[in-house]
Amino acid sequence: MQLFYDEGFIESAVLLCASRGETGRPAFAPGQAAAGRVQRLQISRFRREREKLYRILDPDERNAAFFKLHLDWFREWGLEQPLTDTLNEFPLVRELLGVLAVRRSTGKDDEGAELYVNEANRRTGVLALRLERLMQDAALRDYLRHEFTHLHDMLDPAFGYAPRLDLPGLNAAQQRLARERYRLVWDITIDGRLAAAGHAPLETREQHAAAFARGYSCWPEPKQVEAFNLLWHCRTPRHADFLALIADPRGLRDARRPAPGGSCPLCDFSTFHWADANVLPPEIIGRIRAEFPGWSREQGLCGRCLETYQALAAAGGAAAP
Amino acid sequence: MSNVFNWQLGREMEYPYAAAYPDQQFAFVFNTNRCIGCQTCTMACKSTWTFSKGQEYMWWNNVETKPYGGYPQHWDIKTLDLLEQANPGGQRWGGAPTDLKAPYGKFNGKTIFEAARTFLGPGGPNRAVGYLPTDEEWAAPNRYEDHPVSSEAGEKGRYFKGGELLPEHKTWFFYLARICNHCTYPACLAACPRNAIYKRPEDGIVLIDQERCRGYRKCMEACPYKKTYYRGTTRTSEKCIACYPRVEGKDPAGAGQPMVTRCMASCIGQIRLQGLIQLNADGTWRAARHNPLFYLVHVAKVALPLYPQFGTEPNGYYIPPRWVPRPYLRQMFGPAVDEAIENYSVPDRELLAVLQLFGKDPRICDRYEIKEGPKVFETEVRGRKLALYNDTIIGYAKDGTKIIETTVEEPLHLRPQKHANSI
Repeated sequence: MQLFYDEGFIESAVLLCASRGETGRPAFAPGQAAAGRVQRLQISRFRREREKLYRILDPDERNAAFFKLHLDWFREWGLEQPLTDTLNEFPLVRELLGVLAVRRSTGKDDEGAELYVNEANRRTGVLALRLERLMQDAALRDYLRHEFTHLHDMLDPAFGYAPRLDLPGLNAAQQRLARERYRLVWDITIDGRLAAAGHAPLETREQHAAAFARGYSCWPEPKQVEAFNLLWHCRTPRHADFLALIADPRGLRDARRPAPGGSCPLCDFSTFHWADANVLPPEIIGRIRAEFPGWSREQGLCGRCLETYQALAAAGGAAAP
Repeated sequence: MSNVFNWQLGREMEYPYAAAYPDQQFAFVFNTNRCIGCQTCTMACKSTWTFSKGQEYMWWNNVETKPYGGYPQHWDIKTLDLLEQANPGGQRWGGAPTDLKAPYGKFNGKTIFEAARTFLGPGGPNRAVGYLPTDEEWAAPNRYEDHPVSSEAGEKGRYFKGGELLPEHKTWFFYLARICNHCTYPACLAACPRNAIYKRPEDGIVLIDQERCRGYRKCMEACPYKKTYYRGTTRTSEKCIACYPRVEGKDPAGAGQPMVTRCMASCIGQIRLQGLIQLNADGTWRAARHNPLFYLVHVAKVALPLYPQFGTEPNGYYIPPRWVPRPYLRQMFGPAVDEAIENYSVPDRELLAVLQLFGKDPRICDRYEIKEGPKVFETEVRGRKLALYNDTIIGYAKDGTKIIETTVEEPLHLRPQKHANSI
């Protein structure tokens, strides 16, 4: 596996180090108390070496020289070490990934590891990191372990990862919810495995349990606890198992009757506000059936659709196309 | 360190270099009461100067929504916080205002240069107290910031009763348009280890010599307004150049006349007035009674510097938003806020006329004169009489060319009845 760095990432990292005078490298022993500090003389040397490169006129040559210099100092100041150390804990990633590219992330939402597979089945991992993370060695390693476990799962044939969630019968809102649930359950199994291996999880078991309870609030508490424990202690997670868990926790897919969170048969939006179809006047029933001939009272309709058809009936105008 | 006189603070202060003042100083007044946050200025600047690779996050001009917005996020609060850490409880104003040399009284706290002597930043000692914003703080200009301060304490989501009532709204926000202030004592210049930043003697515009800059980013750290930016493709810092070719009169559109910057000229809300100020030997403004900027800052006293307590003597002035709670504004514009808002809320005859000069012509107005017209309206604003005269104000360029002639009352055009929107 080749490790590639984005120029901007390397440069910003060493500049940050030079301006803060810190590397984020921990002091492992009392004698190394200053390990996390960059020596002033080193910063001066870095600045001097960097200044010289501005004299190179050819832009490509200059860029290459800057990259080399920044990479040398990136390594000199130990900024690469957490990456390579943590990567070594994931032999499958090293074996199956062609390239791991590390780039600069501009925000929390943009951070994380992603897998790209081209037509020739060449696998490339992209890891986006915020610079601030480099200044916190222990937290960085925890984060890297979590993200590399994502990559590991995506590469592991036993996990059976597929980039698209194959969830037929769900509307767009339900698909989005399902993706959120996928992230939730995947993160639980990752942190569960990391905790079992003696590493610090990104979030504690309690935090995950609370998040799971929120995500599956439609389940009774004993069922939530049981499912969460299974996930937390799961050592061999599978994509297919996740799909079964996320697709339809309310059991709505095959429901033919109004159910909380189910899709309105008219607008297909999920709703918790079902109208009482049994008290609908005949003119509204007629108007609905004009557009939805297969609709029956038993299927119900959401409050918003009822408002729409009431308004249309009152206006006496044509139904919306 | 040298001692230099900062008239905005009403006292001498420490600065790394000896005082040296330009012949005239680039300066501007923004009327925040009229800004609608349309970002036309932002895009005018972007499309003129910062549209190239490596300049993606560079917004020499930006308009942010206060109190929650900022580019970079929290730039002002962070610097205020550093100063407070350096001088706990001591950042206070005092003394009586005097003309020209101390119009806002005396600032008894520490400037960013003075605080740097005793307060070490994360990277050790610097020439000015400051910080380097994170990528995240630069990443999202204007996102999620149009939120008013609205709730009763402890009553989330519930609006203040009567929150819209003047003189101060309880539910409020306002737009703050910002460019480089081309400070008299620039922190960026003070901090540059390469002496790559200089102030032009002919107009006080602060520029970065791209040949000398070596990308130390000390300017970014030191500038309290965060108006210098690092460009990854050239590995140098860049900043607002005040459209100096236009200020020099080299834009063909001006036919040789000095012109205002692109951001000023494009402002559709007509909130901006830019000019060149003549300076005395001590850096104070030379009295020019009929220069519109001198009038607004020193005579009408409606335009105030942005965070004067930072100590850089910024040359950008703001007419404060009159609906915003005063403690917030005093922190932002200094102790003269109350007087400025009072003067602006009930403008006198001359101020009403001078306010018409904003955004009327892209050439720089050096002097104005007013021809008196008839009284057309009279009312009372919170107990004070306000009379509206339809005076005519005429603006002249420095060489005496007449460039503006406009009246206080805007002309009314009646459209023929055949149009649906006839009035």
